[in-house]
Amino acid sequence: MKNNYSKEHKKYLLKTRARVFTIHFSRILLFVLLLLLWELCARFNIIDPFITSSPSRIVKQLGMMINDGSLWHHTWVTLYETILAFSISTLLGTLIAILLYSIPFVRKVLEPYLVILNSLPKIALGPLIIVWIGTGTKAIVVMGILICIVITTISMLNGYLSVEKEKILLLKTMGANKLQIFFRLIFPATFSDMISVLKINVGMSWVGVIMGEYLTSRAGLGYLIVYGGQVFKLDLVMSAIVVLCLLAAVMYFLVSLLEMYVNRKR
Amino acid sequence: MENLLTLKNIQLTYHSPKSETKAIENLSFDINKEDFISIVGPSGCGKTTLLSLIAGLIKPTSGEIVFHSNNSQVGYMFQRDNLFEWLNIWKNVSLGLTFHKRKTEENIAYAKELIEKYGLKDFVSHFPSELSGGMRQRVALIRTLSLRPEILLLDEPFSALDYQTRLSVQNDVFSIIKHEKKTAILVTHDIGEAIVMSSKVFILSKRPAMVKKIINLDFDQSLTPFQRRKDEKYQPYFDEIWEELQ
Repeated sequence: MKNNYSKEHKKYLLKTRARVFTIHFSRILLFVLLLLLWELCARFNIIDPFITSSPSRIVKQLGMMINDGSLWHHTWVTLYETILAFSISTLLGTLIAILLYSIPFVRKVLEPYLVILNSLPKIALGPLIIVWIGTGTKAIVVMGILICIVITTISMLNGYLSVEKEKILLLKTMGANKLQIFFRLIFPATFSDMISVLKINVGMSWVGVIMGEYLTSRAGLGYLIVYGGQVFKLDLVMSAIVVLCLLAAVMYFLVSLLEMYVNRKR
Repeated sequence: MENLLTLKNIQLTYHSPKSETKAIENLSFDINKEDFISIVGPSGCGKTTLLSLIAGLIKPTSGEIVFHSNNSQVGYMFQRDNLFEWLNIWKNVSLGLTFHKRKTEENIAYAKELIEKYGLKDFVSHFPSELSGGMRQRVALIRTLSLRPEILLLDEPFSALDYQTRLSVQNDVFSIIKHEKKTAILVTHDIGEAIVMSSKVFILSKRPAMVKKIINLDFDQSLTPFQRRKDEKYQPYFDEIWEELQ
């Protein structure tokens, strides 16, 4: 470490480090306090643990499910569906955006349709999906895709359209063709849009898949939540939500890692 | 002097749902090899349009643009440097070589030579964000030159720079263009800039644009733009162009 800092600078550094530490510490403290409060309220029957569950009951429930292997099964089913929905919708949505970008006529024609599709609550299509595609994994993945794909298309298209016109002109004067302009300029220039779409889709694909599982499923975390609610096993509902929180956080973290990795490579 | 480019009776009309605008009418001029032409005129008179026409980005409604050379490659420089932030300086400079299979050993060597000659060698692996505005504009010029254009089209390339940087970049660009024996057409709002940079000033009329007057600038060949500003001929030229633009 460099030691030629002035006294004021050292003091400043210390202060910033202390601040960062306090923020982290407070976050953890808040979490622990909330859990403690919840647990105590449940223990002393201030709230009814049959309805609200409690941290200890969730841990017990999770332990049970780990022992009989059902936790892995349900988690894997949902994770599998989510990854499928996430990747298909991101790829397909980006492809559609590229298509719309390169054919302005089609873009203009489809504009109002996109707007309406975007504002339509996709869950309304649930019964249709089941009738057309049937129940089970396929229907759930389609639900997830429907939720993500429109916003992916719109965001990427807007990204492509906002690339500076002058840069496109520049490449044209250099004799680049449409394909070269896309891969040399449009694609790398909209990289940050791509990352933010991935981040949005991480959240949205979970929403879509859980909604799909509410509609039709025999396994998965969404299934556990619905089933637990119906038979009043709130411990089960809470446990599934805890696992969902963890998974969503991990997936978001992975996208951030990807962002950092690619940014460093550039 | 060898004739390089001729514009014959160029006419250009813009169409929009509400109106029809004649941007350029009956515009003709010749450009010789190694000319440095500045084009000045009232704002909105179609100066940039004229460059787009010469670059072949748009087609005239009628009239002809003739290159009297086998090499019709133009180099276009914009107000902003338009460097690609995600590419390093070398990749930015050699960007144009990747199109049309121009990435030959000869062309790469030429680009490297330009980089070395004009003081960018230590920066080839830097990224544009690490360079100053003046440096960035120099990279943009080298990028343009690496394609060996016969003619350089400069669309107010200095107007985004602060005044001090602008003066030094003018010097810089002027000497590089002279050194490489290139022909250049500069569009500018800045009368002073037109006088210090060029060999001829074309004054355009209000829309529809026509050449109102051509002023031949007769400075000592050895003067740099910076020295021209202090030359006694500077002020009379300035007044003459100013008068014409009123």
